[in-house]
Amino acid sequence: MSFRIPIGPYHPALEEPYKLELVCDGETVSDAVMNVGFNFRGIEYLAERRNYLQGITLVERVCGICSNVHSLSFCQAVEQLTGAEPPERALHIRVVLSELERLHSHFLWSGVAAKLIGFKTVFMACFALREKVMDALSAISGNRVNYGMNRIGGVNRDIADPQAVLQILDEMERGITRTIIPIFLEDKTVASRCKGVGVLTAEYAKAMGAVGPLARSSGIGQDLRKASPYAAYDRFEFNVPVETAGDVQARLVVHALEMMESCRILRQALTSLPEGPFHTTPPTAARFKVPAGTAISRVEAPRGEVLYQIVSDGTDIPKRVRVRTPTFMNMATVRFTVLGQELADSPLIQASCDPCYSCTDR
Amino acid sequence: MSNPKIGFDQTLHEYGLGECWEWKNGSWWLTAPETFNLRATTRIMLSLEARFVAITAMEREDKEIRLDYQWDLDGQLISFITATSARQIPTIVDLSPAADWVERETHEYFAVEFTGRANTIPLMTRAGDAIGINLHKEIAQ
Repeated sequence: MSFRIPIGPYHPALEEPYKLELVCDGETVSDAVMNVGFNFRGIEYLAERRNYLQGITLVERVCGICSNVHSLSFCQAVEQLTGAEPPERALHIRVVLSELERLHSHFLWSGVAAKLIGFKTVFMACFALREKVMDALSAISGNRVNYGMNRIGGVNRDIADPQAVLQILDEMERGITRTIIPIFLEDKTVASRCKGVGVLTAEYAKAMGAVGPLARSSGIGQDLRKASPYAAYDRFEFNVPVETAGDVQARLVVHALEMMESCRILRQALTSLPEGPFHTTPPTAARFKVPAGTAISRVEAPRGEVLYQIVSDGTDIPKRVRVRTPTFMNMATVRFTVLGQELADSPLIQASCDPCYSCTDR
Repeated sequence: MSNPKIGFDQTLHEYGLGECWEWKNGSWWLTAPETFNLRATTRIMLSLEARFVAITAMEREDKEIRLDYQWDLDGQLISFITATSARQIPTIVDLSPAADWVERETHEYFAVEFTGRANTIPLMTRAGDAIGINLHKEIAQ
């Protein structure tokens, strides 16, 4: 006999709302129906009724975790239309912010995953390390979330003391190498909860257009920082971790190894911060007109590719702002990853695709 | 920026699309001529293992909807600009399941009907809500 079990919109695993209706035969999931849109705010519509400077502030509020990538993508697209070229120092600072944000997001995800696995000690370790990232972000931008760093033609604030951030980086690297990587890669309890669970095959990942760590855990190795570099990423050496198992453990491994690569990028960016200005044009033109045209910017957010398409008609208000977020593509894969799995594993499987419903719903 | 892919270019020649490319502002753009066949192009993209990225919809002055179909081919973004006819366009979901959610939200935001879909279940809105919520002028239901 089949049972239909609604989970959400207030979710047992995550703080954001969405609804998954699971059809179960006994304890086994035989089908799933997803419902999103509980966080729908009409950001695209709103962005087409505000000027470009207001738009930066608006899109930064699409998401509380990866807020920087939204304003970065928006500014990059406008820079293509205006021809504004951010100085080299600004490009480095954008990389620093992006990688700190990735660390913040990955620590948060790792902590949530550890909690769902039943390993609350690791949850505490992850969140303690995340606090250090938040301290670094706060020291640079003055904010723990919604950093307000990006502007058209550069960044709003300089990194006054790179050494202080490097010291925090040392502590984070120690925590990742001593605690997170050994537990995620070698611990038997973690393996027993995650190995072979919630498998997303490369075939399904490709068919569903999956991106980011989720796709890279299923053998699809694309990372826009390498494949289509932006900001100053082409100046730095780093690897793109790829796993082929496609299960929850592969996602843990990819996230853990990506954290180490982020530290590697941060160290290079902070030690090679070029001298010079960190922005070009004054950002205070209240009615900032942008030449007519269409531009697209893509950024590798912590969860994968973010795309912004901006269409300008030559006025100070964009005619069209398109926002396509990584979770919008990744969430639909959950239906395939829960099929045939134990009902009790479904919260972990859902959380393991690192969903963000604020991004999805916009 | 180099040409997207020689084989891709050659394949598109068969459809009269081979020499229409323009690299501009973050993407290769193809403004689709009359001969453009959305579903045939989708098949070509899939055969080249391109990844479906998005559809960007935008209202035109003639009240049709411009639709930019975006694909990633080895890290390069390719955009096909086409448009609805009487607010309709064929679905590509049966060819590329990744387009499902994108078509559903485009239907809600811009009242585009994707013909050939079994159904268009609301994604961001709820059953019975008005469609075309992103249009600059609301469409009467």
